[in-house]
Amino acid sequence: MGNQTPLTPAMFNVLLALASEDLHGYAILKDVDEQTNGEVQLSTGTLYGIIKRLVAEGLIVEARRRPAEHDDPRRRYYHLTDAGRDVAVAEARRMEKLVARARSRQLIRAYKPL
Amino acid sequence: MSSPKLPLGDRFYAGLLRLLPFDFRSEFGSEMEEVFREQRAETAGRRGPAALAKMWATTVGDIFRMAPREHLSVLAQDARYALRMMRRNLGYTVAAVLILGVGIGVNTSIFSAVYNVLLKPLPYMQGDDLVVVRQPALKTGVPNLGFSVREIEDLRQRNHSLSGLVEYHGMNFTLFGGSEPRRVRTGVVSANFFDFFGVKPVLGRSFVADDDRLGAPAVLVVSYEYWRKMLGGDPNIVGRVFQMNDRPHTVVGVLPPIPQYPNENDVYMPTSACPTRSSPGFIATRTSRMMSLFGRMNPNTPVEFCRRDLNDAARQIRQDNPAAYPANLGVDSSVALLRQDLTQQARPMLLVLLGAAAFVLLIACANVANLMLARMARREQELVIRTAVGAGSGRLLRQLLTESFLMALLAAAVGVAFAFGTTKLLADFSSQFTPRSREIGVDGWVLAFAALCATATTVVFGSMAALYARGDIAAGLKDGGRTGADRRRSLTRGALIAAQVAFSFILLTGAGLMVRSFLQLQSVDAGFSPQRVFAIRFNLNWSKYNDNAHFRQTFHRILDRVQQQPGVAMAAVASALPMDRDFQGGRPQRFRVEGDPRTEAESPTIRATRSVSPDYFQTLGIPVIAGRGFRDDDGRREPQVAVISRSLAAARWPHEDPIGHRLSFDGGDTWYQIVGVVGDVKENGLAKEAPLEIYQPLEQAPFVSALVARSVGDPAAIGGLLRRAILEADPDTAISRFETLEEERDAAVSSPRILARLFTGFAVLAFVIAVAGIASMLALWVRQRKREIGIRMALGASPRSIVGEVVRRGMVLAGIGLIAGAIGASQLTRWMKTLLFQVQPNDVATFAIVGVLLLTAALLACLAPARRASRIDPQDALRAE
Repeated sequence: MGNQTPLTPAMFNVLLALASEDLHGYAILKDVDEQTNGEVQLSTGTLYGIIKRLVAEGLIVEARRRPAEHDDPRRRYYHLTDAGRDVAVAEARRMEKLVARARSRQLIRAYKPL
Repeated sequence: MSSPKLPLGDRFYAGLLRLLPFDFRSEFGSEMEEVFREQRAETAGRRGPAALAKMWATTVGDIFRMAPREHLSVLAQDARYALRMMRRNLGYTVAAVLILGVGIGVNTSIFSAVYNVLLKPLPYMQGDDLVVVRQPALKTGVPNLGFSVREIEDLRQRNHSLSGLVEYHGMNFTLFGGSEPRRVRTGVVSANFFDFFGVKPVLGRSFVADDDRLGAPAVLVVSYEYWRKMLGGDPNIVGRVFQMNDRPHTVVGVLPPIPQYPNENDVYMPTSACPTRSSPGFIATRTSRMMSLFGRMNPNTPVEFCRRDLNDAARQIRQDNPAAYPANLGVDSSVALLRQDLTQQARPMLLVLLGAAAFVLLIACANVANLMLARMARREQELVIRTAVGAGSGRLLRQLLTESFLMALLAAAVGVAFAFGTTKLLADFSSQFTPRSREIGVDGWVLAFAALCATATTVVFGSMAALYARGDIAAGLKDGGRTGADRRRSLTRGALIAAQVAFSFILLTGAGLMVRSFLQLQSVDAGFSPQRVFAIRFNLNWSKYNDNAHFRQTFHRILDRVQQQPGVAMAAVASALPMDRDFQGGRPQRFRVEGDPRTEAESPTIRATRSVSPDYFQTLGIPVIAGRGFRDDDGRREPQVAVISRSLAAARWPHEDPIGHRLSFDGGDTWYQIVGVVGDVKENGLAKEAPLEIYQPLEQAPFVSALVARSVGDPAAIGGLLRRAILEADPDTAISRFETLEEERDAAVSSPRILARLFTGFAVLAFVIAVAGIASMLALWVRQRKREIGIRMALGASPRSIVGEVVRRGMVLAGIGLIAGAIGASQLTRWMKTLLFQVQPNDVATFAIVGVLLLTAALLACLAPARRASRIDPQDALRAE
């Protein structure tokens, strides 16, 4: 099944949050918040809209094994699939190229951490 | 006010989530509430009230933003699924869409006529304020004498309820200046006639007060149709001069394409340009009545008030001028709303047709409902599985509604296409009853009606399916309790079949009555034989004919030339054709008989008069019953003579021979001797009684406008010759009607014929759908009971008994439907009474024929599935299950 919806920045952020470990919903919210220094704040509605879409497209799945230390049974953990990882990598590469082009046009100078 | 379980904020959030689709909530709802609780607690604890407020705003906004999107996505999913299911059951889908589509189409199409003719406001400015004023002569049965110039002036002065009163009369003149002389139907109107109706010309101007002044230069306004068809749509038509009544007439404007009332005319002129209307003698004479009157009521005046006011004024006028209103006429006045007047004739017909169309839709619905139930039976498995994997009943209902909605949408599209295809037909048909017919078309309201039909069927079918699905699933899951649901379903399906038969019965009866009525009408003896007769109506250029001698010369010239033409067996000229739709039959006349003390008031009213040449009766095959017809020398010397119709003879001289009696119309100044009695002619139409009629020889009353000629062979072959002969006799003659008399007679029954055809079309459609419904239901019944039938056959049941059972099942339903239909029809057909001719609405023969027809068809429909059932191989059936 082809990927029909274009990847929005919010969706990309969710994929990034799941890149290193499986997380539950609230943890994803917090991770995105922290990683972007509060620039991207997802509401629960937006988050679950995204989760539904990513699950439907097979980019993430509900994790079968849950980390041992958290055992609240109501919480569902989400896991980045291989397909999801490929999509995230492709997106990152696309952005990288974009940034490189912007730099070659002197739009931005050198890499400077914010 | 805190809840024992959850804080207010969390409960509010839970409520907010209800905006999302059911599926979404059941998947993520509790998780979202949990996440929200944590997020809220942390924000409130660590970031303070401002951040909390911001968080709330974002959360609420996001839910509102995403809810429609999520619903849409579920809908799209449902639609995709529904389309897949429809493709998989293509046969069912096509059948249901076509059946429903035709049902909706028939209704949409009839509705377009009903809406545009009966419901829509008139296309005139404040059309609901317009009234028609009439002056009936009650004692002679004449619905409208018309008004004279004096009467119009008086009414204008004495009424208190009208803001305007305009006059109209129609005349036929000959228009010169085009390629050939043309007879034009001319409306002679008050100068403010078009302003009164709010009609703005598309070119030039309409009339102004100055045009109405006696002696003003003659001007014309041309109708849109005449401008397009006869004047080639010439954009420079304004200012062009035509010759008419020996005067130049200048075109000043062109009307828009609107329904013309009271008649369709080719051109319009102001009263000052009409030679009759503008003659001083006519203007001065109170009894020179010819004009129709239209009034515009003052704003917010109830029509009742206006009626009373005008009746009072008319009564006063009559009291002031008793000589102009002899008691034996019984002159009265009447006021009717123009809107009702325009559609009076079409109303019963359109409403009956709409009723018939509604029945077609009902049958279509019953049939599709049955198809759907049959399919639900086959989908049972799928629905059970879907319920088992957790689709809620709300979700299933939604799915089934989506399916029926898509189906109805497709059906509506078919229906609208159908309506587009048929409105032209319907407009042609209605044009015989109402000038509003040209407004018929498919517009927003009509589309809305089709959408409404589709929506109604969606809701009914969708929820019915869901209701059954629920019963089925409960039963399907238990599996033990299936028989209950099965019985209920087969009962419903049986009822639907019986309903289809009943509705078909009603429609077929209606159609049968219409057809019988039409056949009766067609078999009516018109009183003359139209075979091989060619008929021409023409108008001599009146302004050239100022004395009778000139007239006589011309008609002799025409007759001589026509009789010389090869192929013409016999010919005659007359003042009017038999059964002429354009000829009103002249003024009603009463007479006195010489030597008889009875006055005019006691004599029967003569409603038709004709001046004819000697061979008229023989050419048309009108039998001479007593005395003789006319001879060449009749009318050239005293005494003046007349021939009367059989009914007139019977009405006035029931016990004696009328021949030799003398009668007078003018109180004894002129006497006419009766020389013969001829058969009655249905001058006013086949459905009406033949009027009492009197004939005079043309020599005596020379006025010709019609030619009839009997041909040796095909009458159409001599048409061209006749036309040329007339034009040779007088090149200024305008020929207006040109057809065989058989065509003319056919035209007289064309509207009952079309009505009978339409009705029959509806009925046949319904009949086919219903019979197919019976056959398909029985076929399914047999298929579902294959195993049971197999077992019984294995146990020794004969194929005959199996056939018998299947047929019995079908025929019981047909019988029930038949009885219900007969009861319904006996109640409903009386609404058709006004449309029927010499047929009673409860005509036993029609009911019987329809009953036999339906039963026979039902029997045939039962036989095929019955035969299939009897051929079931028991072993095969047992293995298959």
